[in-house]
Amino acid sequence: MKKTILLIAFAVVGLISCNNEGAAVNTVSSMKTPQMENFDKAFKSLGDPQNRPTEEEKKRNTSELSDRRKALLVPASKDLILSTGVTEAELTRKTGGDMSQIIVWATQIYMKKSDEIRKNIKAEN
Amino acid sequence: MKKILAIIFIAAVSLINAQNLKLIVNNYSTTFDFHGTLSAHNFGGGCYPYVTTNSPAMVVVPADANMNNGNELVYANFKDQYLNSLYPNANWVVQLSATTQTVRAWNHASIAPGGVISANTKWSSSQFQMYYAGTSTPEPSFSGLIGEPQDPCTGASSNISTPYGDVEWFNITTGNVDYSYLQIY
Repeated sequence: MKKTILLIAFAVVGLISCNNEGAAVNTVSSMKTPQMENFDKAFKSLGDPQNRPTEEEKKRNTSELSDRRKALLVPASKDLILSTGVTEAELTRKTGGDMSQIIVWATQIYMKKSDEIRKNIKAEN
Repeated sequence: MKKILAIIFIAAVSLINAQNLKLIVNNYSTTFDFHGTLSAHNFGGGCYPYVTTNSPAMVVVPADANMNNGNELVYANFKDQYLNSLYPNANWVVQLSATTQTVRAWNHASIAPGGVISANTKWSSSQFQMYYAGTSTPEPSFSGLIGEPQDPCTGASSNISTPYGDVEWFNITTGNVDYSYLQIY
């Protein structure tokens, strides 16, 4: 009886360790924070039919993203900035609520975090 | 003497205006790989320096390579892209005038960040052709010259719509930061 229990215990330990093997294979997407994922989604959403540039927006002689479309990126950008411990008041003070500044700041955080994730993955492998 | 002064002046102005530039390519298409050149040029009068990828093949950003899965292309400058980007480009074609053209390796001093060429160019455009994912079969109708609109140096459009997908080029700028995005849907 004891032997059987021991055998089962070993088998279970074996299975668990195999499970961990799988979990160690990390990808950039699996290691992103929810705020990073939402930031990604916001950029992708610029391609949704209702978010595509209007005829009027296309006619402008600048390639600067229109305010209407920048506004689509702002909520996810703010969340990403706040997730680093920056306070709402600090965010307002530093950006003055300027959409471009908020998006650029979030992009810089995003790229730094992505780089860190890539480095961690490299170090693990 | 005048020439030297002019060069020093331009170099000084460039240093003051040193910009934080980035080019980001997001290919959200799941059907097509992006094959194209990536160019930067002078926007401060005249088109030169004019710098273009020369890999020798095209830069390829596969289908569904974008920020969602961390496979986007990010080029900060002509040099660091080779060290840090997922899509390193080994050589650049550098035009200093309409008649002079040199191929420079990514680590050549003349195109290093902070140098005159790097400081006087901004990401401008891409001549691209989309290919069915993982194949060497192009989709002839899904191609074009995308980039800064109303740019006499390139003649590119900032929006290209085809039955196969759409491509757009836009910027987000503030202060001395200028991020250029090329997105394929």
